[in-house]
Parts: sequence; C-alpha cells; structure tokens
Amino acid sequence: MFREFKSIFNLNWIYVFILLIIFWIGEINLYSAAGGSLDPWASNQLIRFLFFLPMFFLVIMLEPKFIFNFAEIFLILVLIGLITTLIFGYTGMGATRWIRIAGFNLQVSEFSKIALVVFMAKYFHKLNAEKTIGLFKSILPLIVSVIFFILVAIQPDLGTAVIILALGLVVIFYAGIKLIYPLISIGIILSISPILWTFLKPYQQNRIQIFLNPDLDPLGRGYHIIQSKIAIGSGGLKGNGFLEGSQSSLDFLPEKETDFVFAIFSEQFGFTGSILLISLFFIMFLIPVLKTFKLTQVFNKIILFVLSFKIFFEFLINISMTIGILPVVGVALPFMSYGGSSLLSNLIICALLLNFMSINEKKRMFS
Amino acid sequence: MEKNKTSEDSIKILNRRSFIIIIVGAILSFIVSLRLFSLQVINFNFYKKKSVENKLSIKLTPPLRGDIYDSKKNLLAGSSSLYEFVVFKNLSKDHFQEIKKLDSLIKLNLNFVEISKRLKNYNEYSGFSLSRASWEQIVKFEKNKFLFNSIKIIESKKRYYPYQNFSQIIGYMGQPTQSSELYSKGVFHLEKSYEKHLKGKPGKIFSEVNAKGKTIREISIEKSIKGNDLDLTLDLSLQNYAQSQLPTNKKGSIVVISVSDGSILSMNSNPTFDAQIFEDRENNKIRDLLNDDQKPLFNRAFSGFYPPGSVFKPISALVGLQRNLIDPQKEVFCKGHSSLGDRNYYCWKKKGHGKVNLKKAIKESCDVYFYELAKKINIDDIASLSSNLGLNKEYDIGLSNIGKGLVPSKKWKKAFLEESWYQGETLITCIGQGYNQTSPLQLATLYSAILNGGKYPIPKLDKNTPTRFTGKSLNNEHQKIIINSLNAVVQEPRGTAHKLSISNPEFVKIGGKTGTSQVIRIKESEREDDQYKSKEIEERFKDHSVFVGYAPYDKPKYIASVIIENSGSGSAVAAPIAHKILDFAFKNNV
Repeated sequence: MFREFKSIFNLNWIYVFILLIIFWIGEINLYSAAGGSLDPWASNQLIRFLFFLPMFFLVIMLEPKFIFNFAEIFLILVLIGLITTLIFGYTGMGATRWIRIAGFNLQVSEFSKIALVVFMAKYFHKLNAEKTIGLFKSILPLIVSVIFFILVAIQPDLGTAVIILALGLVVIFYAGIKLIYPLISIGIILSISPILWTFLKPYQQNRIQIFLNPDLDPLGRGYHIIQSKIAIGSGGLKGNGFLEGSQSSLDFLPEKETDFVFAIFSEQFGFTGSILLISLFFIMFLIPVLKTFKLTQVFNKIILFVLSFKIFFEFLINISMTIGILPVVGVALPFMSYGGSSLLSNLIICALLLNFMSINEKKRMFS
Repeated sequence: MEKNKTSEDSIKILNRRSFIIIIVGAILSFIVSLRLFSLQVINFNFYKKKSVENKLSIKLTPPLRGDIYDSKKNLLAGSSSLYEFVVFKNLSKDHFQEIKKLDSLIKLNLNFVEISKRLKNYNEYSGFSLSRASWEQIVKFEKNKFLFNSIKIIESKKRYYPYQNFSQIIGYMGQPTQSSELYSKGVFHLEKSYEKHLKGKPGKIFSEVNAKGKTIREISIEKSIKGNDLDLTLDLSLQNYAQSQLPTNKKGSIVVISVSDGSILSMNSNPTFDAQIFEDRENNKIRDLLNDDQKPLFNRAFSGFYPPGSVFKPISALVGLQRNLIDPQKEVFCKGHSSLGDRNYYCWKKKGHGKVNLKKAIKESCDVYFYELAKKINIDDIASLSSNLGLNKEYDIGLSNIGKGLVPSKKWKKAFLEESWYQGETLITCIGQGYNQTSPLQLATLYSAILNGGKYPIPKLDKNTPTRFTGKSLNNEHQKIIINSLNAVVQEPRGTAHKLSISNPEFVKIGGKTGTSQVIRIKESEREDDQYKSKEIEERFKDHSVFVGYAPYDKPKYIASVIIENSGSGSAVAAPIAHKILDFAFKNNV
C-alpha cells in the first residue's frame, strides 16, 4: 500500500515550494481580508493546513498501484457521499452541500472531482491497453460525469457541478477522443443556445442579463460584481499596498474571504501582483504537465495532467468571476479561499501530483 | 469509424492534446490578464473614483436659519429646540416591537404600516424620526427608558415665532417638495422671498463609512453657516398695539408707514393666524385654518382691494388743479345732487352743502363738487396721476399675493370690458367708487406721495434696503391747498373727522381723509352720514369704513391707513382707530 520511506526525498521540491508560496500568499490575504487580523480566517486556515499535513504525506506515500486498484471503490464511496449529502446534508446559505463527519463539515463534491479523474484515468488506461477510443467507448465516463454533475447541481452548487463536468470532458478530450466529436458538440450547443434561451425561466434570463450588465441591479445580484470590479480596478498598476484596500476593510465586498478573495489580493497588490499570481499558478500547472511528456502510462499521464489542470482551471474560473468575464457561480480560489474542504481536496491533489511526479516508469505498472 | 492504433500512437495523441489544452489555458490566462489590464491600468481612474465615492460619506448638518427682527432688534422669528423620538435600527433587533411599545406607552398614534414600509430600506445607522416629543412625553419616556434600546430622543431645530401678529407678513415654513431640497423652506411671504438670504449653508461632515453606512472615522468637518438675519422696518409695539385696536369681530386692516422713507412700521390684518402651528405640525389647526371662510391667511393690507371712497378725492382735486379745471376759491353750489343726462348723482348729504369751494369740498367731503369737476375731467388724467402717486402698483417687498389693484382708464375698459368709457363713470370714479380698487398699503403710499410733494419713497419692509424715491413732483401750491384741506378735515369745525380733535384733544394733531368704500349701491344719500341706519342693512352689504391720516399734521411723520370692513362710514369707525394709532406711534416715537 505504501512506498518506501526514502522516496519522500525524491519529491519535486520546486513544486512543494511554489505550493507553500501560494498558500502563504493566501494566508497573508486572509489576514488582510480581516482588516489586519489573524482572527477569524487566517489562523483557522493555518490550523487546518497543519491538521491536513499528515493526510498530505499519507497520500504522497501511497503506492500508485494502490490508487489504481481502488479507483472504482473511491468512486462509489464518493457517490454514496454525494447521495448522503442530498438526504442528510447540512444546509447553509440556501444549499445542502455539506455532511458532518467526526465534527467536520465535509463538502463531498470537492472530493468527487478527484475520484472522477482517478476513475476515468483508470478506465482510459485499460481501454488504451486494448483498443481505440471512439464515441462509444467514451459513453461510460460521460455518463458518470453527468451523474456527478446532476447530483452536485441539484444541491444546488452549479459552480462545482460545471467544474466536475468540465473535468470529465477534459479527461475524455485528453485521452484522445476523435476531435470531430467535441467540435460537433460545441457546434450543436452554439446553434441551439438561442432556442434554449427561450426555454429559460424569466428569473434565469434575468441572471444572465445581470451578468452581462451588472448595473441593471446594482444593489441586488449585480452588487457583488460591481464592488469586486471597483476593488480590483482601484488597485491600479501597483496596488494600494498591504492592508490598504478600502473596499475590503470597509466591508463593501461581500464573500471577500471565499469566492472574492482575489479582489482583496488585487486591490492591495494591483496589476503587478495579479500577473505574478497568474504566473505562479501557471508554473504550478506546468510542472506536473512537463513530467507527463516523459511518461508513457496513460493512467499516470491523465492523473498528472488533469489534476494539475484542475487547480489551474479553478483558479482561472474564479478570477474570471471576480473580474466580470464569467457569471458568479461560486468556485473557490485554490489555496487562497477560506474553506476546509477545498483546501483538503487541493492538498490531496498536490500530494497525488507529487506522488506521481516521482514515479520512475521502468516497467509496466498497471495491468 | 474505429480503427486500431498502437499504444505508442495513443501516447503521442495524449501529448498532442496536452499542447492543445496548455495553449487554451495560456490563451485564457492572457484574456484574464488583458481584462485585468483594462480594469487596473486603463480604467484605473474610473474605479479609483468609485472606490473613494464608496467609502466617503458626506453628511449634511442643517444650518441655523437667520433670525428676523423688528426695527428695534426684537426677535420676530428665530430658531428653537425641538425634540423627536428617533429609532436606530442597529441598536436593537426588536426595534419594531419597541416602536409599538412606545406607541402604547405614549399615545403617538403612529402609522405602523407606513413606518414599517419606510424603515425596511432605511439605513440602520441613520436615525429614523418617528414623531415630535412634547415635554410630558419626554418625561414619560425617560421614566421608562430601560424598555427602549433602539429609541432615543434627539434634539433638532425648528422655526419659532414668538408673536402671531406677524404671521401675515413673515409667513411660514413648509416641508421640502423636491428631493434636492434637504430642509424645510420658507413657503409664504418673507420666509419665502428671503429664503436665500435666511437659509444659510449646511455643514458637511466627511466621513469614511463601511458598506452598511457605519461611520469608521470622521475625515473632516465643515461647519454649517447660519443664514443672514433680516431686520425689518416693522415696530413690534406698534404692530401689537394696532392689532389690539382692530375690532375682533370685524375684518379689517391697518397699515402705518413712515413719511420720510416709506418704511412700513406696522401692517395688520384681521383675522390673523399663528404661523407656529405649521412648525408644530398641528394638523387639526392647520386644516381649520385652511378651511376658515374668514380667510385668515389673506392679508388685507396688501392683498385686499377695495374702492377707496372719498380718500381718493385729493387725486381728483389735483387733476382739476393741474389741468386748470377749477379755481380753488371758486364756489360750486351743492343742492344734494348733480345731474348728468337724465341721471342724478347724489351727495352723501341729502340736503346739500350749499356753497362749496375746494377746501370745503375736501373737508366736508362734498360729492357734488367733485361731480361737477368730473364732468370736465378726462379719466385718463386721473389714471395717470394715480399711477404717479403710488396706486396701480405692485410693490416688490417680498410679500406673497401682493396685488396691483385697479385704476380705471379708457384703454383698460376697452381691453377688459370691451366697452367705451361713459362720462357717468368718471363721476363715480372721481369720488373713489366705481372700478377703483386700492389696498390699504397703496392708500398709505398715496398719502405719502401727497405729503412728500409727488416724489415719494417706495414702501419697504427690509430695513437694509436703501430708500428709493419715485413719482413726479407736484406743484407746491397745489400740494399746499390739498394738505391744508386734509388738515381741516380733522382740525376745523364741520370737517368730517373734526370729532377726533374734540373727543381726544390730548392726542397728537392729525390730518387725513375719511372714506366710505361702497360694497353695494343702496341709498347714495345715506353714505358718510353718521346717522347711517346700520340695522336696516345686512351686515355683509354694509360699506367699509376707511380713513387715511397722518401725524403730526404740521410736520407729518406717520401715515396710518385703516379699513374696517362692513362697518359704515369712515368717520365713525376707521378714523378714531387711526387717530389712536398715530398718537401711539408719535408718543412712542416708533
């Protein structure tokens, strides 16, 4: 089940270093979001981080083989977790997203992303060993992705659901589905979207219109995005400086510690800081991806590529929301948004990435 | 379409797909960066401004309104403290329950539906005013203060009018009508016309606020600037005295002006009202006031227009003199009436005045003398002299509903009645009846013009306006004749107001002219007769009693113009009142 202890020294320390830097930036940001106070967010998040470290190392030490073998089990566990959430879940802010396990509120949907990618990696790995990938062979993973999407979407948590579906599609695309299918799908979606629009309920159309023009409802649904844009825009080239963001310190920005944490960062550190942060996340994305080119095992490649992509993808979605180029759907900023489940699942992903980056593919690992 | 491929081929495909996804990721990052560049660099100023506006709150503090004083610095309108029950939403979650509790403890008769509707979107840190608080209510509230966490008593300022005798000149304040207006404003008379002068400049408290509107810190304070005070020409004691002289059961008006500079020293109208009820929001009293058919809001001194009656005769006499139509010494025989065509025009004295010259005609107010003169007069000469002497004018002194009145002319009649002028109309116009419409203030000004020799000071209420003269000079001789005759009215036996100098010899000696303003043409011969049989005529058809006088008669300082509605002849009612008031003004040197 576990690898030899000495393999811990083969870790990609650059990646660990970047991870720590990003987490540290997140801590500083939560500290400033509270107006220069560790309480209530920064200290809590640090405690969680330390609390999750054993789990982090545990995952690093797992045998890849073990992960491969138990992929379906993980999937079923997560599926049970999602259904349990819907039935017994803890309701907060109008949605049932959490279940209580051993005194913690756990957001199962965060972990379903990992389980789904691992499951699909194994599925395509086995497929690749024997056959080619056409539409037909992609149907099972597609169905699983859609089931997960629906289970999360009805919580309701549209943001996470969309990410899950997108990850499923990315795996299928990455695994080598013929390009014609995604192109046809995009074509169909684009051509029927005007018809779909007429099927939307007026309030749903209203939401989309407000996304396109937040000023339609400046104190209601448009408020978040207007205030977020003011915070980011007023940061300017160099930013207002550490702890000098008035939008955040004066509470103009709602959900500043969770979904809009980037606005806090950008108000303080400006365009320069934002570009640096984007670069850091992009490098963090590329490090595992570069490793995939040296690997030949499909399972390894998919795990490394898609899970690394997942973190970068969520990062992009989140900041696109805060700068008003995507609707506000509720996607956390990895390692920077306040919240335990997101932190834990992303730490597990990083642990998996570190684990798989240290793989030495000399023999065929999985059968 | 499936075809076999080797494991190595599939690895190549995966690597190729990696590149596609990496490139898409890079493009997305680039788009995000471009957007950030647009927000933070290109549109930086726009968002910076928005951010500053967001956190800056400018709270206006109401300025103190300027005070209004009489000519001796007695306060006529000022500011006094006012207490209100104010609810602060942030102080208690149960604030609405507390409002209900307050209403049951102190009967405020609050409209809960309205309050809850307005409170819903009200900033929780800004107090919401529920109701004014009287002293008894404050005492009751203080005793039960522990029950209320969210309700406080807050002091603010309201307008204070110590004397209600000035309400018809000073006016009153009203609630703001436009959203750009923050405070109550003057809506009537001087409060309205001197709004800019009185209102002052609000102070500004610049403070940094958070998203809920809670003040984090005050950045700077600009103090409010009190409005300018206004000094009036009015005299508090004279105004109060004059009001006390107006018969309470009669409508009427008294205007006293200064001969030398046109200062209005007092200006009363009965019935009057109390402007304070608007400030105290005594809605029942306000409703009664607005529905009162005695029209207490109507100031008869400048909005009330009446035929002047015989006090108009000096104008006819002056036209006669100017046009050489009469010789002052030449006598006309008054046999009680005069005929024009087939119509008889009666003198008020049935049996006639006998031989009458100009002085006697004015002194004894002989109508026939003026009828005979009128037969030779061109009505347009009357109109133009009237206008030169202060009639037919709307004085711009800051009063609402000040009117112009009417001095008839041929042109006027053609334009408004579409008829030509008849000589008979000149006859009744020359004795001050007919179409003539003048206000008590205009009559006072007319006598000021006569006493000043034609060039008269324009009436004024604002003590700080410079005295301005207008009008055309009269011939000195003519003026002397007229003033002589007016003095004789009171000072010489048989003068229509000679009774005044007999009954009150200790009073200041005055000159003047009695008048009777006809409401309806009854028995012409009964006008100005002290024997007037008042009981026979219904009250509202009785003539108005008019007197314009000045004192002292040899060196005129004050002019009083008095009209008492439906009271009969001028000599009986208006003249004694005018005499008392002139005496008061003279003795108190107002």
